[in-house]
Amino acid sequence: MDADHSQSRTHRFAQTASILELRSVSCAYDANRPAVCDISFSAREGEILCLLGPSGCGKTTVLRAIAGLEPVQAGQIVLSGQVVSSPLETLPTEARRVGMVFQEYALFPHLRVADNIAFGLRHLPKTERTSRVQDMLRLTGLEGFDHRYPHELSGGQQQRVALARALVQSPVVLLLDEPFSNLDPDMASRMRQEVHALLRQMNTTTIMVTHDHDEAFAMADRIAVLNQGVLEQMDSPEMIYHLPATRFVADFVGQADFIPGQIQRGIVHTELGEFPNTINGSEGDHVAVMIRPDDVHLLPNKSAAPQIVARQFRGSENLYTVQLPSGQIVHSSESSTSVYQEGTSVELRVSATHTVLFQTEHPLAPSDTGRN
Amino acid sequence: MIAVRSSTLSSLQLAAVASAALTLLPLIYIMALAFSADSDVWYRLWTTRVPELLWNTSALAGAVALLALGLGVSTAWIVTRFEFPGRRLWEVALVLPLAMPTYVSAYIFNYLLGFGGPVEQFWQILAGPQARIFSPQSFLGVTVVMALDTFPFIYLLTRNALLNLNVSFEEVARTCGASLLRRIFAVTLPLLRPSIVAGVALVILYVVSDFGAVSLLRYQTLTYAVFQQMTGQLDNQAASILSVLLVVLALLFLITERWFRHKSRFYQTAGRYRAPQRIRCNWFQTVGLTASLAAIVGAAFGVPVVLLIAWSFSPDALATLDARFFDFVWNSALLATLAATAAVLAGLPLAYLASRKPSWLNTGCLQAAYAGYVLPGPVAALAVLVLCLKLVPFFYGTVLVLILAYVLHFLPAGLQSLEPSIQQITPNLEEVARTLGLSARETVRHVTLPLIRNGVIVAWVLIFLQTMKELPATLLLRPVGFDTLAIRVWLEASEEYYQLAAPSALLIVLVGLPALALLISRDWRAA
Repeated sequence: MDADHSQSRTHRFAQTASILELRSVSCAYDANRPAVCDISFSAREGEILCLLGPSGCGKTTVLRAIAGLEPVQAGQIVLSGQVVSSPLETLPTEARRVGMVFQEYALFPHLRVADNIAFGLRHLPKTERTSRVQDMLRLTGLEGFDHRYPHELSGGQQQRVALARALVQSPVVLLLDEPFSNLDPDMASRMRQEVHALLRQMNTTTIMVTHDHDEAFAMADRIAVLNQGVLEQMDSPEMIYHLPATRFVADFVGQADFIPGQIQRGIVHTELGEFPNTINGSEGDHVAVMIRPDDVHLLPNKSAAPQIVARQFRGSENLYTVQLPSGQIVHSSESSTSVYQEGTSVELRVSATHTVLFQTEHPLAPSDTGRN
Repeated sequence: MIAVRSSTLSSLQLAAVASAALTLLPLIYIMALAFSADSDVWYRLWTTRVPELLWNTSALAGAVALLALGLGVSTAWIVTRFEFPGRRLWEVALVLPLAMPTYVSAYIFNYLLGFGGPVEQFWQILAGPQARIFSPQSFLGVTVVMALDTFPFIYLLTRNALLNLNVSFEEVARTCGASLLRRIFAVTLPLLRPSIVAGVALVILYVVSDFGAVSLLRYQTLTYAVFQQMTGQLDNQAASILSVLLVVLALLFLITERWFRHKSRFYQTAGRYRAPQRIRCNWFQTVGLTASLAAIVGAAFGVPVVLLIAWSFSPDALATLDARFFDFVWNSALLATLAATAAVLAGLPLAYLASRKPSWLNTGCLQAAYAGYVLPGPVAALAVLVLCLKLVPFFYGTVLVLILAYVLHFLPAGLQSLEPSIQQITPNLEEVARTLGLSARETVRHVTLPLIRNGVIVAWVLIFLQTMKELPATLLLRPVGFDTLAIRVWLEASEEYYQLAAPSALLIVLVGLPALALLISRDWRAA
């Protein structure tokens, strides 16, 4: 594939065929409580796709179903145009040509680094095997480590070996299960960049599972947000953050407050001012407006009613918790140097580029809105 | 480090050193005796008996290890990787053979496989009246008996390892395109190797130090020869020389096992735990698996126990259940109680000091106490006997000497449950007691002892039950006319009075069951 890097990443893969397709896939550990329900998505060649969700949402089950380690109860999984999983038939994992990196890497402790990497290359002649392993060692920056045992490597190096072992067999699709969760934060962010660069260079179609939205934003071309086994939204990282499809997504991918409002004369009226009616709600409907901390700006004003109740210093920013007269809580992110005392009266300026509205059944009580 | 008052410490220290000396001195003395022997004696033994004995012992150990390996690994694989009705039952039943002392199985197989025995009769119906089967009193016979008795060691360790094996290793092998056979041989078995090797080492030590089976089946091994030198030839010096050889042989096996374990120290099989997927069996497979498991457990435990029960209720056997029989029971229980109490008292200071004050002296004392691990029963008896004859001859023929031999022999087994129970308590608990104003003595009484109580009880019960069935040391050192259950079984079985031996043997097997429950509950994990 010759991806045009000048195009925005949302459109990069628009023309290429899909390598992996899930059609209404359901998996269940016990029949009454499906782990994954009616999931459909597809990944195009070279795309990095991220399954994001809280623990227990079924994201790892989806990954294992793609690998063929978990049978599907309904639906189909198609890999390179071939149906590999259906309720009737499951192509065994070893015949799928998928590469997988497990959360704890699962490096064979009894094999040296080179033998670990060569494990999936048995069908090749020895010289070819060696040269492929050497190529992979070079690509992952592991030259000189080929005779080490896994326990003689650091966490980051272990991960590189696991990645090399999966990539060396040129898999149709690479599956990463929470690959950075066993690394300390500094190492994790370095590895994210390295892995991202490597996957781009090798143009490997990748499905990655994570519960960390920052990781998903940093790595993914597209993100699929899962909640309780259901696909809530699938979009580019920017869309997921700015235009979340559901309240769950809005809440999960970053700090968000939900301000209650009502539609009157085609305009949403809230305590923070007026917003356009972007969901075609009818007159009199109760709605909630999603506000992100970076959309709210504070101006100290002695005569204003809202008050600062807490400040959290985060290094690059200050996160303020502000209480409105109704008791509603709003968060605001200010620059690192703007320090106001708790109890300061402030005026709020809301400057959202996108207005995100959610229908609510009843007028929201201030107590069950927002998240601290 | 807990600041124990120096007087308390020194008395503990004294107790620990005394316990270590108690186990080490007999060993040193027997070595001295062996090496002080004339070179003639060495030469004579070396040219006549040693080559044959060494060969017999190693060949038996090797053959039993191989057979037990096959039985243990395959049964462990079946119960952990297949799902079929009755699986959980078999999971427990496969441990039962450990409750059979080897002299009990040996005497039953002597009958079963013996000349004109039931197996031969059955075989003659199939293969004609002239057909013969192998004699139980042969290499093959001893191998089968010992393998059936010892394979559960390998089964237990392999089963545990299979259950704890991180399935990700096998899954990642699948994503690398490895077939089922390649996964088994390139991934699973290598990962199980440390556990399998540990199990094989246990089996080999068991075989090398066994006296019951080889004496009843008349198979010459080093251990049996030591016994014969002491009783038949009354030659303690020759017995010491053979003992030293035996200890060296056992040490060799132990060191090999340690080396293997050291090599695979880093086999990190932990990780996210996910139960392995068991293969569901259809009825055909179920019948096959059940039949093979039933054959193994039946031969090793089921048939012997049924026979014992039948014999116990024969008129001849019932006639022996008189006051004398209850004397044997009482003698066994008395010896076992004394031995268990003495061993726990000797073991506690050792384990405590080695864990809390790991100086070279304290860890050295603990290691010395483990020396008994490589001492077969006859050797322990011989060591205590010769030392006693040298230092305090008037104690010879008293229960005291016997208890000493038991402590020497079973202290390692007790330490194996005392040590972890003490290590599990963080010293912080004792330190916080001291900050709350308790003295060292009060801390031990109110904090340490209550916390290690279970470990102490387990150690006591294990030693008690092992002493109940101990044979060779009892045989060699018991006061005149002081018979125990184990002695009765051996004496009657030696004379082939199968029925008369049955009640005592049945009682020993039954008493062994709770010990088994204790042993396996330590590392049993239901999955």
